[in-house]
Amino acid sequence: MQVHPELLDELKQYGTFDISACFNCGNCTAVCRLAQTDASFPRRLIRCGQTGLQDSIQTTVNPWLCYYCGECSETCPRQASPAEYMMALRRYLIGQYDITGISKLFFRNSWVQSILTVAMLIALFAGFMSYVGDFGKLAAMLEVFFPVYVSVVIVLYLFQIYRYVIIKPLGQLAFSIRPRHFYEALYHGFTQINFTRCEKADLWRWRSHWLVMSGYVITLLLSNLHLLEPLHRQYTPFAPVSLLIWYAGLSVTVGGGLMLLRRVRKSSESSKHSHPSDWLFVTALFLIGLTVLATHIANVAFGPESAILGVLYKLNIAIETTWIVIVVPFSKWIHIFFRPLAIYLHHTLREVQQGTAFTLKIGQRQGSSVA
Amino acid sequence: MNANVEGNVPGDVSGRQPKVAVYICHCGGNISDTVDVAAVAAAMAQYPGVAIAREYPFMCSSGGQDLILDDIAKLGVERVVVAACAPSLHELTFRGVLQRAGINPYLYEHVNIREQVSWVHKADHDGATAKAIRLVQAGVEKVLRQAPLSALHAPANRRVAVIGGGPAGLKAALCLAAKGHEAVIIEKAPWLGGKLRDLGKVFPTGAEASETLRKLEELVAAEKRITVHTRAEIDSISGFVGNFTITFNTPDGSSQVTAGAVIVATGFEHYRPHPGEFGYGQAAHVITLPELISLLKDSPPRRLEHHGKEIKSLAMIHCVGSRQVEGVHQPQADGKVNDYCSRVCCSAALYTINRLKDKYPHVRIYDIYRDIRSYGMQHEGYYERASKHGVLFFRHTETDQPIVESSERGHTVKVKDVLTWNEEMEMQVDLLVLVTGMMPSDTKRLTSQLKLSVGADRFLQEVHPKLRPVEMAIEGVFVAGAAQAPMDMTEAIAAGAAAAAKAAILLSEPEIPLKPFVAVVDESRCTGCGDCLAECSYQGTLVMAEVNGRTVAQVNPALCKGCGACVAVCPTRAINVAGWTLDQFEAMVEAIAKA
Repeated sequence: MQVHPELLDELKQYGTFDISACFNCGNCTAVCRLAQTDASFPRRLIRCGQTGLQDSIQTTVNPWLCYYCGECSETCPRQASPAEYMMALRRYLIGQYDITGISKLFFRNSWVQSILTVAMLIALFAGFMSYVGDFGKLAAMLEVFFPVYVSVVIVLYLFQIYRYVIIKPLGQLAFSIRPRHFYEALYHGFTQINFTRCEKADLWRWRSHWLVMSGYVITLLLSNLHLLEPLHRQYTPFAPVSLLIWYAGLSVTVGGGLMLLRRVRKSSESSKHSHPSDWLFVTALFLIGLTVLATHIANVAFGPESAILGVLYKLNIAIETTWIVIVVPFSKWIHIFFRPLAIYLHHTLREVQQGTAFTLKIGQRQGSSVA
Repeated sequence: MNANVEGNVPGDVSGRQPKVAVYICHCGGNISDTVDVAAVAAAMAQYPGVAIAREYPFMCSSGGQDLILDDIAKLGVERVVVAACAPSLHELTFRGVLQRAGINPYLYEHVNIREQVSWVHKADHDGATAKAIRLVQAGVEKVLRQAPLSALHAPANRRVAVIGGGPAGLKAALCLAAKGHEAVIIEKAPWLGGKLRDLGKVFPTGAEASETLRKLEELVAAEKRITVHTRAEIDSISGFVGNFTITFNTPDGSSQVTAGAVIVATGFEHYRPHPGEFGYGQAAHVITLPELISLLKDSPPRRLEHHGKEIKSLAMIHCVGSRQVEGVHQPQADGKVNDYCSRVCCSAALYTINRLKDKYPHVRIYDIYRDIRSYGMQHEGYYERASKHGVLFFRHTETDQPIVESSERGHTVKVKDVLTWNEEMEMQVDLLVLVTGMMPSDTKRLTSQLKLSVGADRFLQEVHPKLRPVEMAIEGVFVAGAAQAPMDMTEAIAAGAAAAAKAAILLSEPEIPLKPFVAVVDESRCTGCGDCLAECSYQGTLVMAEVNGRTVAQVNPALCKGCGACVAVCPTRAINVAGWTLDQFEAMVEAIAKA
């Protein structure tokens, strides 16, 4: 296999790790909970990165199985930060899957995304503030645009990951049709239960993820189903919708806040190395939760006509729009879809190896992969 | 026989039976817990020829030694047997006691009843006691037949010949001069410094090799006690400890030097790859590590060039000429492959890589190795730095050697990489660097004339790698530096200083005491057959000479090692090793067997 050491120079733009220092001792694999049956993870991917086996890296689902418990980095005798390398691989892979090339640009030019985000947020907020029409109707239109936009993004991404992991190396379509594998993927996707499997289970990390995940899904549902019209209607504190809002707002605020705090304090391996996109991500989440809460409190307390509600709601919509447009498609947000899909694809690959997968030949193309 | 060396005084074992005293040591329970020491003493008291037999808790203590002194003074004891620990521990102690009492110190026999009896027969007290008695009886029989020997002395020439003027030889000469000895450096090349001349910066100090050499040369030049002969080829070397004669040829003619000791510091040669080994000598841009070091010495900044070509990438292949495997590698002229590790090359390669990366950070470096051995103080740091410099390492097995295909555009190196689960990895490079090992300089003349031991790796072999690391088996000959084994400069210099210290100790007194246990010829029995001469391994020890009209064997006791090979082949029992005669052995065997 041709060696491409320049690939590592590229990978280094996606994270703060130093796998050049790795001397292949395999301690990372020894402590990794994911490497129970297969004695190659994460060492194998590190070697692929060192020697620049691009095909092997582009076609792997393994980075998505890793939850960054950080034990490999703590154990590494050469301070090569293998866990951060896996994080960087995830960023790199998002860049590969993203057909627009924007993710690549954002990840590699660290502050571009943040600057654009802030600029867009200011512009939108200013625009909303000077908007003279019925802002409630404008917000409703935006809320219809969100799910369409996000769905397109997700479908494109899912197709891409499938193309890289299955079609490219195998030259065929392959599926696992065992219900267990679908169920497992969904179960993991919702619970992110693998967080708790790490040896030094960091329950607060899992809790904050769970809070953000559940709260965020409810927020999405509320806005996409257009269940919330704070400028047109006054809500009582204990109405069913209010209860959902309280939960969602609080969860996202607290969860996002916890994540932010962890990164500020660098309290664990996974929060030691913060890429600018990580700061953007947790800050935005925290602000979304906060503005959702504030908007609803203003509505309940002062009624739909209140001036403060108007400002808060415009801020909330400006943040959410910016978030959806710039952050969601080009950041780690997409992890929530990749992780369960990776579990499914992992099983599919196993079944292909065992010859039990449902396959569909689409050509003679035969790639090679070692990861 | 050399006139300056005294011969043995013939023993007096005829006539009246000498008085023998026997002492059984308890060794504080080490012996007496297993051996019934009182029973041994009682048995020995009855033994013919024994005047007195005693037991004592610690014979080596001053109380034990006083006991012997008292018995000699009061009872007229003339020969002594102590049954105690191994003779390597206290034989000299008790010989000293005899000497203090005014008795010939060799009229002493040390019987080992600790290592050879009590420690190995802990479960069988009766058997151990019986065995101890037999061994002590044998000791008595031996000492009864012991001749009073006298230690031989060879006069010591205080001058030391240092063969080889590299770092090890220069350091040895400087250390000797500092101790007041004259040192003569005999160097084959037209200059001093050996391989140091070709190096650039050297680890671990980062000093310029030329600067280090300049300092050493200045010190040597300033030292009046050091004489330097360059362009000097050794012609012959002969003699023995205290008195060696070396003749050598220089362009000015033949010269001769006498010396009391010889330090062999003949150094090493870089391994020369066989023509075509990884393309060496055939394809362009294939060089050895020493050649790369020379290249870096005066290469311009920013652009690394080799023969006009800009080098943007290079691969290093380790273990070229080292750790070779029979059937895989082409053997050397003597039919053997170099199966030893040259030790120094890994650190040297890594150090050079770092220097290269510091100067040309953009050059891509691939390091292909079997094992990396960065054994020196902080040398592991060179590996760590190299890897942090982005040097990419590949590891192959001994049978899967890297494959190089060279074309005008460069080299394609393929290596079955253990680190990438045995995938064949392929890389294109502009320059191929062979990390070559060390081979000893040609020392055939020295080793054959001085009978020096040579290891399977062709390097000179010391007496013991840890206990006597710079001494050769031939007394008065020392080894320093890479003539002994592959070593770096710091090790070579340390070895030079060590050899100088050992030589200085040897020559510190005007006479060098020799062991008296050497072959002695009974001229009346010798038929002059010459069998002993053929058997002797130490050239010059035995000669045939005319004595009173008969041809008989004669021994040079300064050269004799007392091995006894001549004794074994003599058809007329004319040769014995003093202190270990055939008569003594027979009497000992008799004593052990008869009981």
